[in-house]
Amino acid sequence: MNVYLSLARLYIQSFYNLPTGKSPGMKRDQKSIRKAIAFGALMVLVVGDFGYLFVMVNLGMYKGLAMVGMQGILVLNAAIMATMLTLVVGFMTALSTYYLNDMELQLLSMPIQPRALFGAKFTAVYISEALFSVFFMAIAMMVFGIKEGPNPLFYVWGTLAGLLLPFPVLAVSYLIQIPLLSCAGFLKNKRTIMIVGGVVGIAAALGFNVFIQNMMMRIQDPAALADSMASPDSFITRMGSVYPPALFAWRAMSHPASAGAIGSMLAMVVVCLAGPAIVIFFLSGAYAKSLVGFNEAHVRKLTKTGADRFITRHIRSGYLFLTLVRRELAMMNREPMYLLNGPFIIILMPIVVGVMFMVQKNALLNDPGLAGLRAFVDGGFGCALAGLVGAFMGSSTSIACTSVSRDARILPFMKSLPLKPATYMLAKLAHGLIFAFLGSIIGVGLITVVLRLGPVDVLASFPAALSMSILLNVGGLWLDTANPRLDWENPIAAMKQNPNAVIAILGGMVLLGGSGYIAFRASMGSAAFALWFGAVPFVMSLVMLAPYPRFAEKRMARMEA
Amino acid sequence: MLELSGISKTYAKSAVKAVDDLSVAVRDGEIFGFLGPNGAGKTTTIKVLTGVLRADSGHAMVDGIEIAADPLGAKRRIGYVTDNPELFARLKAAEYLNFVGDVYGVDTVTRQSRVAEYASRFEIKDALGGSIGSFSHGMKQKLLITASLLHDPQNWVLDEPMVGLDPKAAFALKEIMRTRAAAGKTVFFSTHVMEVAERLCDRLAIINKGRIVFTGTLAELKAMQGADGSLESLFLELVDDDAEA
Repeated sequence: MNVYLSLARLYIQSFYNLPTGKSPGMKRDQKSIRKAIAFGALMVLVVGDFGYLFVMVNLGMYKGLAMVGMQGILVLNAAIMATMLTLVVGFMTALSTYYLNDMELQLLSMPIQPRALFGAKFTAVYISEALFSVFFMAIAMMVFGIKEGPNPLFYVWGTLAGLLLPFPVLAVSYLIQIPLLSCAGFLKNKRTIMIVGGVVGIAAALGFNVFIQNMMMRIQDPAALADSMASPDSFITRMGSVYPPALFAWRAMSHPASAGAIGSMLAMVVVCLAGPAIVIFFLSGAYAKSLVGFNEAHVRKLTKTGADRFITRHIRSGYLFLTLVRRELAMMNREPMYLLNGPFIIILMPIVVGVMFMVQKNALLNDPGLAGLRAFVDGGFGCALAGLVGAFMGSSTSIACTSVSRDARILPFMKSLPLKPATYMLAKLAHGLIFAFLGSIIGVGLITVVLRLGPVDVLASFPAALSMSILLNVGGLWLDTANPRLDWENPIAAMKQNPNAVIAILGGMVLLGGSGYIAFRASMGSAAFALWFGAVPFVMSLVMLAPYPRFAEKRMARMEA
Repeated sequence: MLELSGISKTYAKSAVKAVDDLSVAVRDGEIFGFLGPNGAGKTTTIKVLTGVLRADSGHAMVDGIEIAADPLGAKRRIGYVTDNPELFARLKAAEYLNFVGDVYGVDTVTRQSRVAEYASRFEIKDALGGSIGSFSHGMKQKLLITASLLHDPQNWVLDEPMVGLDPKAAFALKEIMRTRAAAGKTVFFSTHVMEVAERLCDRLAIINKGRIVFTGTLAELKAMQGADGSLESLFLELVDDDAEA
């Protein structure tokens, strides 16, 4: 196989953690097949969820634009949104995979042309961006197609546009990153890159949230939406006029069967492919050079007397359980990208909700449908809402439900130690509960501020939030003990590509939604809510914890990481 | 004393036995070398011996304690150096040593003196404040060895301990092995380096395709093969014969 194709295949397998074929001498694993099917079903659910959101946004836009006969702008909007999304996600993906691991140093030692190396990596990053872009275009095509019934070529040009749009934005991402990483030595460290990527990701997530909130608000008023999108000063109009690929896509899809459409698409192909061609042709050498010396670490050394003092001060015995909890905290994923789904979601979520509240504050306060909200809040619903939000915050950190998976690499060493499996696992639970406590405080605090709850509601909602968080964390620990993900290349996969995290979060949402429904239907006051949703989950947690040590011991003995 | 009798192990995802009816006994005061080609079952055997893996059949005993019956009691009597020093990259060296010390219940005074002793011998004393993630492979290996000796175990089990060590550290390690054996403690290690096994081991076992093909002294191996070559040539003959058979 051609070197470029071999490398592209290698990168694609590493990036996306694709399953490899059955190795000779390995058993056919029915469990893995079932897990893959279940994970696929979950992915369909998540994609369907986002799809529904975007369909609703596009439908709202279509209604508004159709009123003024400018529904064609829907396609331009999709092309620009696909470009913006792939720019942000592509920039982050390109940055986080700029230096994958030490395998790349080995590749540098091989007689591989830098263009083949960089071209293969570009290809691997492009695939995920193309999927995003086609997804965006497909939803707009679906809405526009159902409403307008365009020529079938409309779909061909739309799909082609979706495939082409990520090329220039990825080229721009590398055009920025290659010179930057060639010059800025401090960036040539995987952890620093993760921090920078995480900060960019958070900013993007917040920006996207503001955009969606604005769109959702305007959907209520189609005329204002059409005006804001189609006016000469709008972002869409301005981007459309200065960004040729979006303009070409719009032109081709507006008159799909015309000769001009073919001309526009040809122009789009040339413009979009020129970016990667230029970057790969001129910057491949610089890219390969910038990989040299990546992840170089320097050991901090002590003087001879300093080392003696250090031993006296820092080598000290401690309580085993606290040592284990400290280890969990020290080993925790701390990069900002774990703000998106990970331990630090307890920080990001209040910011996201705060942004939503700030954007929609006026609409919410003026909504006649919410006029009776105050009475409703004071009647006990405020307490229930605070408790449920606190419980969600305390249980959505994915700490307990990925705790065994994250330890996969060190599991053999941990198993060799004279350590009770239950102690080891309960230290993991303690780690989860520290964040459950903080999450419950933040969640309850957030709703208290937004809804201006009184001290009685706060005192009633916090124990309930904490109790439900404990229950969900214990459930998460059971889940990851029963079915840990022990086979991964990259530690991020143990948390972010772990079905247990998805199951725990979705399960938590169902449980909390059900609890909210019960509290609402039973018209529970603060005291009743605290009693039922504080005491019952707590007792359930104890019931679940009682058989856990034996279960953990049995499962640990069977784990073959 | 370490004793494995009739140990068999097949991994859950594999159709082939990694270790098949393996029996080995290592006496107190003995340096025992465990040799075999890649994938022969050395690490699997060590993992069964240290309680990391549960055998499908057979018994693993540490100083007369059956590891399946009393895992904590047996593990407390072992110091284990894994073949993979990629551990706890986010911890500092001192934090790691304290972690291991706390697990084995080593008091502060003993811990400080042993850390000072072994960290000096392996020349990592000045790096104790550093993050393990910034350590080279050899430094991580030295840290693992230091940690494995914190509780002065009766049985020292090392999986490929020479890999990544500089000559000075390798010499120090061999010296510590000899000292411990002389003090009546057991040293069990796997290696690919025939010269090390030849010079260091009181007895050795050779494993191939999950089965023990020889156990005894070097002299006994020479007698069995009817040749007077180096351990390397005898090992190759034995493994090749076994492959042909």
